[in-house]
Amino acid sequence: MRHSERLAIAAHLHVLLRRKTGRVTDTEWMAADRAYALEIVRFTRERAQSDGLPELNEWADKLEAATYQAAAAPAPRRPLAQALAPQPPDPPPVPDRYVGGIR
Amino acid sequence: MHPTAKQLIGPKARKVAAGAAALAGSAWIGGAVAQTEAAAAAAPALVRPGLVPVSSLSGADTAWMMTATALVLLMTLPGVALFYAGMVRRKNVLNTLACVVAIAALVSLLWFAGTYSWAFTPGSAWWGGQARVGFGGLDFDLAGGLVAVSHIAPHIPESVYAMFQLTFAIITAALVVGAFVERMRFAAMLVFIGLWSALVYTPIAHWVWEPGGWLAKMGVLDFAGGSVVHVNAGMAGLACAWYLGPRRGYGREAFEPYNLGFTMAGAALLWVGWFGFNAGSAVAADGRAGLAMATTHIAAAAGALSWMLAEALLRGRASLLGLCSGLVGGLVAITPAAGFVTPLSALVIGLVAGLACYWGATGIKRLLRVDDSLDVFGVHGIGGIVGSLLTGLLADPRIGGVSGSVVTQALGVGAVMAFSLAGTALLLWLVDAALGLRVAERDELAGLDLALHRERIGG
Repeated sequence: MRHSERLAIAAHLHVLLRRKTGRVTDTEWMAADRAYALEIVRFTRERAQSDGLPELNEWADKLEAATYQAAAAPAPRRPLAQALAPQPPDPPPVPDRYVGGIR
Repeated sequence: MHPTAKQLIGPKARKVAAGAAALAGSAWIGGAVAQTEAAAAAAPALVRPGLVPVSSLSGADTAWMMTATALVLLMTLPGVALFYAGMVRRKNVLNTLACVVAIAALVSLLWFAGTYSWAFTPGSAWWGGQARVGFGGLDFDLAGGLVAVSHIAPHIPESVYAMFQLTFAIITAALVVGAFVERMRFAAMLVFIGLWSALVYTPIAHWVWEPGGWLAKMGVLDFAGGSVVHVNAGMAGLACAWYLGPRRGYGREAFEPYNLGFTMAGAALLWVGWFGFNAGSAVAADGRAGLAMATTHIAAAAGALSWMLAEALLRGRASLLGLCSGLVGGLVAITPAAGFVTPLSALVIGLVAGLACYWGATGIKRLLRVDDSLDVFGVHGIGGIVGSLLTGLLADPRIGGVSGSVVTQALGVGAVMAFSLAGTALLLWLVDAALGLRVAERDELAGLDLALHRERIGG
């Protein structure tokens, strides 16, 4: 899914949340930041349940799917010469040393 | 040295006894040898800030103190700012920087409004006087050839002395930020820090550095602020971390530092700027300042390497954050001792501090079970305590004119620890009741850059 499509979903949800709950959101950030988008999804579902607004659930599902799809999106096509060139090793994963303290 | 001009705790709190005649060519007048006997005879010893002839000032000392002031301010802006900002998560970098900048501005205005007067003018043993309240008194009279000086440093303009001390007040408040980053509301933070600077930092500075202060009279040695700055900030940080509670996800999620390159740049500014912090606390461009510069540098280097060694032995590898933390730990520990100890003693202090602060930021942190985000207590608190006690052990009377006492140092450190912890906790409770201290959960998750400032770091 392209960024423009995610932005469209975010914009629709922004308008829906504004009208139904009064909550103001950052549309662009919703389309760009995973953590923020998932938080908005959580909030939307919470309000859908508490305020009895089932239409919010539909758009929460769409935003969630779009967010996870963006995270799992395949890498863009690379030219053959670049793909065959020796690749640098992947960086090691974030160590757990930053859990419970940074030192 | 004139026998009645007893140097209790170093140049920053020289006790100029009333009637101590600055008459002989070799007499100390608040820390500077009289230029000539005639000048000495014409300049009665001050016991409170006052006006003196411009000709009695020392140009060299004034120039050095202005330089030292700039160096210490650089330690905060941007030293501490970068040091801390590099260690927080990406979504909170700008807020961390904003806190440091705002605190520098706030503390500056409060200083000249009143806190300088309450810290550094004579009053009681617990609180200073009103002589410099309301941006008053830092006079320069061109026609009359007179300039205001502090009784503590009568050879430099009081404007310079007040500015120098201000940079210490600024950095102490800025250091506390490291304990509560990523979860305190900005406006409430400003109110809290303003009150803390006035009601916690100010009296402690008065007790230790104004000659009439009770800890100064007791003989506590604190050359440049081991207890006033570092123990104080460490305990205040601990109180903040405890009161606010842990960050969401603390202990479960990895809080990856945004950019340890920032942290290293900040640490480098701290190292270099600390020459102003410690050597500047000699309040003179002289041999003692030179010695303080050397001991400062040795302790920083030793601290960096001993932390690095501990980390390499216990974790199998050295780290940039460890090197930066160790050098800061060494600098913190040498702060109370810089103008009292030999270079060899500085090596010992730095090596011990590197190890102690490593333990403070790891083992002790786990024991305390408090989310002190950037280890303000572990590095500044522990480093300050260790340095203050070692000053009692290692102070060389040939250098500072006084011998140390571990018992006296412990009493002084204990008093500062207790007051800082209790005073800070009380202020936190008051500000929380009035304004609310902690950000909302959603803001904390979104990041304070966006939530509090509507700003986002680029790239």
